[in-house]
Amino acid sequence: MRAVLILLPVALVLGGVFAGLFIYAVRSGQFDDLDDPPERMLHD
Amino acid sequence: MAAEIILGAGLERYYAERKAFPARPEPADGAWDLVPVETSPDGTATARLVVDGLRCASCVWVTEEVLSRTPGVRAATVSYATGRTTLRWEPERTDLATLAGRIAALGYRPRALGEGPSPDHDLMTRAGLAAVATVAIMGTSEALYAGQWFGSMDPAFAALFRWVSLALATPVALWSAAPFFRGAWNGLRHRVLHMDLPIALGIAVLYVHGVVATVTAGEGYLDSLVMLVALLLGGRMLEARGRRRAAEAATALVATIPRTARRSVGDRLETVPVGDLRPGDLIDVGAGEELAADGMVAEGSGQVRMALVTGEAEPVPVEPGSRIVAGTVLLDGALTIRVSAVGEATVVHAMALQLHAAADRALEPTAADRIAPWFTGLTILAAALTLAFRWEAGIAGAVSCAVAVLVVACPCALALSHPLAAAAALGAAARRGLLVRSGAAMLDLATVDVVALDKTGTVTAGELTVSSADDAVLRVAAGLERYSNHPVAHAIVGEASARNIALSRGSDVRERVGVGVSGLVDGLRWELRSSGPGEVKLVGEGGDEHLIRLGDALRADAVATVGRLKALGLRTVLLTGDHEEIARRIAGDIGVDEVVARLDPAAKGEWVRAARGRGHRVLFAGDGLNDGPAIAAADVGIAMGTGAASSVLVADGVVSSNGLAPLLAGIRAARAGAAAVRANQAFSLAYNVLAVTAAAAGWVNPLVAAVLMPLSSVAVIWGASRVEAKVRRDVT
Repeated sequence: MRAVLILLPVALVLGGVFAGLFIYAVRSGQFDDLDDPPERMLHD
Repeated sequence: MAAEIILGAGLERYYAERKAFPARPEPADGAWDLVPVETSPDGTATARLVVDGLRCASCVWVTEEVLSRTPGVRAATVSYATGRTTLRWEPERTDLATLAGRIAALGYRPRALGEGPSPDHDLMTRAGLAAVATVAIMGTSEALYAGQWFGSMDPAFAALFRWVSLALATPVALWSAAPFFRGAWNGLRHRVLHMDLPIALGIAVLYVHGVVATVTAGEGYLDSLVMLVALLLGGRMLEARGRRRAAEAATALVATIPRTARRSVGDRLETVPVGDLRPGDLIDVGAGEELAADGMVAEGSGQVRMALVTGEAEPVPVEPGSRIVAGTVLLDGALTIRVSAVGEATVVHAMALQLHAAADRALEPTAADRIAPWFTGLTILAAALTLAFRWEAGIAGAVSCAVAVLVVACPCALALSHPLAAAAALGAAARRGLLVRSGAAMLDLATVDVVALDKTGTVTAGELTVSSADDAVLRVAAGLERYSNHPVAHAIVGEASARNIALSRGSDVRERVGVGVSGLVDGLRWELRSSGPGEVKLVGEGGDEHLIRLGDALRADAVATVGRLKALGLRTVLLTGDHEEIARRIAGDIGVDEVVARLDPAAKGEWVRAARGRGHRVLFAGDGLNDGPAIAAADVGIAMGTGAASSVLVADGVVSSNGLAPLLAGIRAARAGAAAVRANQAFSLAYNVLAVTAAAAGWVNPLVAAVLMPLSSVAVIWGASRVEAKVRRDVT
């Protein structure tokens, strides 16, 4: 059961990293417009 | 007295928040310099903004108070329904960026009128954190439930998992869920109770109970808490996104009014901002330009498209002495205009301002918000009764049952039912060409029983087309007109192309402004000239005359759409300023139930108001500034996207594609959405009643809650997701 004591912090840190990445993505505007970018190449 | 209390509270909060967020003007500093500011002769400056995030009437009131009390501000008005804000201030004492900063400091989001609302990064971050925590807390809770089930979990591990769960739930409850607490607190303070109150109550009870359970090694509901917050925030995000897309599309359609004009001073021309023009100035206007001010033609002649004011497509000839208004377009010719009114004094501006005032109908709270106080009261009553009846059985059991009642009563599914279904309906309508401004307007659309349509530009395409002419005549006329950019030329050349007539090539073509065009076609000299309303005459060398009749053609889908609207049980009415005879003919063609002719703009609005007075729910669709009063007066006002900017501004929705069919699709989507809201509300209320009964009986433990509560929300999401499918099935 010692494995839990190692895996739990690892899981939490990983979760924290993904939450951080998500916050970074939101702040840098990557979720602002989910509709236009896929169609933009068709307009050029 | 009450006003004083609210004012005190509002201003207190203002100062508290200003410390927390020192000057947070959005968009970035400097962007406010781009907002058009009009300077009045008395030296004050005026600008218009939109403020996002105003949830209640008191928010509007507090914003107005704070702005009015700012030194240097002469007047501040905020519209409840649209968030449109008009500011008048003394430029030497304050500036727009400072005022915008003040609004931002109150916690609302100011933006320029032409700009779409900024995406809510804050809400997204809160929802994202809750989602990550949901995934993580599932791991620990599953371990705890499994340990309980098999009864062989090491108490040390159980404690560790409980504390990890608490660590995951704490930021979600305290930070992610903060908007619900803030909303509930604002509601309480201003005595406008809405759905945030029972939600905040539920979250608070869940969290406090969870903390106690963790400390005392008992069973908590922290997993349910995290999941509920994630679902609720997700629902809010969807709602905000639907609204933002509609607003962006609407602002993209709003045309820009010219901001500069060419003023002639002596024998020189200078380009000046419109705000610097004064009555008596002379300005030059060329073909294709929009007029920047009201005035009288001093020199020159030409034809003006007055559709903005009259709604009629046909160009109006002007000559020295003609009165002319800002916002109309000079189609051909060249004019020098003596300015009589600028800015706020112009006819168009005065009309637009009246419209803005008229469009401020009250924003009604949703059905869910109306039952919120009852809901909260009944929940607390049920919890108190549970506590009282179970008191004898032991305090621990009684408290745990009462907490279970409060927990399962959290109206998550109920709170989601309205925004999700409204967002689904908004999306379904938008994909079919009708952009509606808000979920509330979308659901209003479902209750409509009278559809009133404007004629020009709505039922008809609002463009001149040839209604009758011989092929040979058309061939010659098109040969003369092929070089011109005039609406009559477009109509003739377009019709010739549509009939597959090989165009001849005119030579020595001369266009005389306001009179007609002449030239050689196939070696013969022809002249094409206007010969009365809706007619042009082709005159040959020998004096032979041929008539070309022009008209405003029906939209291709008008007849089919009106038929389908009637099939939905709606009464269709044609409202027009045109003559009885023309109106009857068009009404007969498209098959409307009723036609009312010879209505001026104000009378259209009156007609709509009268119909509402008789208990009808009226949808009005029109274009042009002249339809503005009716659009503003209707329960749901829809502007045709090709119409005037001001009618788009006051409308609840905009038809973005070329046709009437989006109206039909919008009503179908609204009805499907409203049905989904009703079904979801009925379902979630039934769920809440059953769950509260079960909790009072002591049958609900954290595991049951963790399964039941998300299930009810998923059922509501599923109900909303069927809106699109239902609309698709109806349309095909």
